[in-house]
Amino acid sequence: MSFVVANGLTHWFGRDLVLEGVDLVVDTGEHMAVLGDNGAGKTTLLRVLATALRPTAGRLQIAGLDAFREKRRLRHHVGYLAHAPGLYPALSAVENLEFFCDLQEVSRTRVEEALDIVAMTSVARRRADQLSRGMQQRLAIARAILHEPRLLVLDEPDASLGEDAAELLTRVMQGKTVIMATHDRALANRLCQRTLELRHGRSHGTATRLHVVT
Amino acid sequence: MNPVRVAIAVARKDLKSEWRTRELVPALAQFVVLALLIGNFGFQVDTHNASAIAPGILWLALVFAGLVAFGRTFAAEREQASLEAMLMTPASPVAIFAGKAIAATVLLVLCEVVLLPALTLFFGTPLSGDVVAAVLLATVGMAALGVLFAAIVARVRARELLLPLLTLPLWIPFIVAGGQAVQSAMGLPGSYQEAMGLLLDFDILFVVLTSLAARFVLDE
Repeated sequence: MSFVVANGLTHWFGRDLVLEGVDLVVDTGEHMAVLGDNGAGKTTLLRVLATALRPTAGRLQIAGLDAFREKRRLRHHVGYLAHAPGLYPALSAVENLEFFCDLQEVSRTRVEEALDIVAMTSVARRRADQLSRGMQQRLAIARAILHEPRLLVLDEPDASLGEDAAELLTRVMQGKTVIMATHDRALANRLCQRTLELRHGRSHGTATRLHVVT
Repeated sequence: MNPVRVAIAVARKDLKSEWRTRELVPALAQFVVLALLIGNFGFQVDTHNASAIAPGILWLALVFAGLVAFGRTFAAEREQASLEAMLMTPASPVAIFAGKAIAATVLLVLCEVVLLPALTLFFGTPLSGDVVAAVLLATVGMAALGVLFAAIVARVRARELLLPLLTLPLWIPFIVAGGQAVQSAMGLPGSYQEAMGLLLDFDILFVVLTSLAARFVLDE
């Protein structure tokens, strides 16, 4: 069953066309990688798919709902990792997540579970500005999965993660529908069933099956 | 989603961040004291004219401190790229706005805790409950407007310039009514009750209008 259906997603930033008629279908539980060079439109596409940005044209359905009319309702089901971690530097890792528990209306007991998934329990009380870039990325990932979303939209989740990136992301992505942007084709091949290649805002061919992950 | 819980969470987060970093309040407190000092030296203040000059200096210091305090509310979120994460939650943008406005109001009130006794010290004017009430009442509406415009200008580069240009004209009613209330509380002619009534009316009007506008400003 299709969980995400996008038709003709087009977006202009002023006079710049950054997305041009992108179509995609992602099935429930499927993992799709979006590949492309810098400036290909990956981040814009992911922001649209996460409902953070309304496209200039095109339609998007998530879980059978119009993604922009039902945006707020869908946000219980969508977890988004943006390009920048977007943490509160003066708050500790736990405090950052507790704050988002309050906003997501989920129990604070989820904080410990999320930190455990990203292997950050040992630095849970450390302030975000005292964490390494890789740890900040882990914390941002923990925030994205805090409310146990059904759809995860991850913009370069492997950035600064280090050697165990694939293992960590496998844990994070388990049981979820995932759309992730990455430059790392090997990682995409390992974690995702399909890829979508973007060039200058256009998808080149439909998503290509690489191999089935069981 | 309980909007009150969200607003409290946002306000608590902002206040905790300020408490840990102490970026804003100490600098603003120094600023208001310096503004009073300059006002004290700039005018020939004596016992006869102090209560006529002091309210003007008070509002000038408050307005410029407010511009800095409110300007930081959303600028910091944009710089940290944390606003999008907050808006990606199911929490209502109006509740998020209210939380930011509450935190900014508390920070400005902390500056007023320094400003009002300092005004008494430099100008010899009485520090009465009436003066405090007038300043606090004006702060509420000024914060609502200031935080809304701070949200609007946060995404542009010239935000430090744009914020005063947009905010100051709409703060004039608060300065006029607040000025009148403080002057009459300091013994000058004018109806204190009437000025406070006006301040309350402006507070209600602008809090309602900014809450309605916040949804559109923050939603995308």
